[in-house]
Amino acid sequence: MDKKETFIAAIKDNEGLIYKVASFYTNTIEDRKDLVQEIIYQLWKSFDSFNQKSGLSTWMYRVAMNVAIYHLKISKRNFLTVPMDGQFSNLHETDNGGFEEKWKALRQQLDKLNLLDRGIILLYLENKSYEEIAQITGISESNVGTKMFRIKEKLKKQINKQL
Amino acid sequence: MELDDLKNTWKGIDNQLKNQQNLNPKMIDQMTKTKYYSSLKKIAYSEIIGILLCFAGAAYVALNFGKLDTTFLQGVGIVSILLLLTLSVISVISLRQFSMKENVNEPYAETVKVFAITKLRFHKFQRINITLSYLLLVITIILLSKFFGGNDITDSKYFWVFSFSFGYIFLLFYSKWVMKYYNKTLKQTEELLLELQP
Repeated sequence: MDKKETFIAAIKDNEGLIYKVASFYTNTIEDRKDLVQEIIYQLWKSFDSFNQKSGLSTWMYRVAMNVAIYHLKISKRNFLTVPMDGQFSNLHETDNGGFEEKWKALRQQLDKLNLLDRGIILLYLENKSYEEIAQITGISESNVGTKMFRIKEKLKKQINKQL
Repeated sequence: MELDDLKNTWKGIDNQLKNQQNLNPKMIDQMTKTKYYSSLKKIAYSEIIGILLCFAGAAYVALNFGKLDTTFLQGVGIVSILLLLTLSVISVISLRQFSMKENVNEPYAETVKVFAITKLRFHKFQRINITLSYLLLVITIILLSKFFGGNDITDSKYFWVFSFSFGYIFLLFYSKWVMKYYNKTLKQTEELLLELQP
């Protein structure tokens, strides 16, 4: 298997990861599509630097999340205030069961967090261990624990404010 | 909504997204070859057009400098050229900030830090840019009336009354808007940077 074939196989295996990161950092379908393409392009460009020391998915999360930040910069949109309508407008064929409402509620909470906390919470939602979160973000494992505690408190406060 | 609720909602998103995943090997291959990321191009084009317009404006004033027959108008002409060139430089710097030169393999926290610093710098440039644009607007009115009407508009007392009163109103609203809009995001960004300090 040559390099390109290995890469394509790796992308196919981790397609869900890319889509989830892209969805987490964007508010429209168009933006998400752009970001998915950009992530794949950047993953390919830096594929040689993947040194096998960390797992493939750890490396992919790192690159994808970094690209997502640059995408925020490029798109010139303020992710804290942009409305989220239409994010899942092409999902009507499935039974949403109030899914969009739940998604909006989730985003409202997450959008109030800073970029670092958002990254940590994304990885937490992805069931990553504190060790993996530390590897991807570059902060210490104990710091991840502290931050998780603070994020939890922040979210509680935000919810209480809303009620 | 507790973290466990968030997790359940995220799981739902995961299921929904699975229906949208349709990358095939051909598409992935294309994405590795062509950088067809449109948003960047759109922004780059608009910035480049802005830069070209500024240069064209500066060249026009320089070529017609002879029509400016008073010391005041000549001073205005020089200031307009300097302003147009400054605005171009600011645009070039802003444009360079969009380039993805940084290493995408860096840890996420490092990228967040770079992003926050760039954001603060960008906001500063934006403030300067808009303030200079207002000044350029006043200067353009003076120069255009001279170049195309042959009149020195500054002789009219109405010009000064209107330009100053409108200018004051503009700056009043602008500064209020800037304070309201930027202070919150700048504060958040500064807090984030403090959080990221070792």
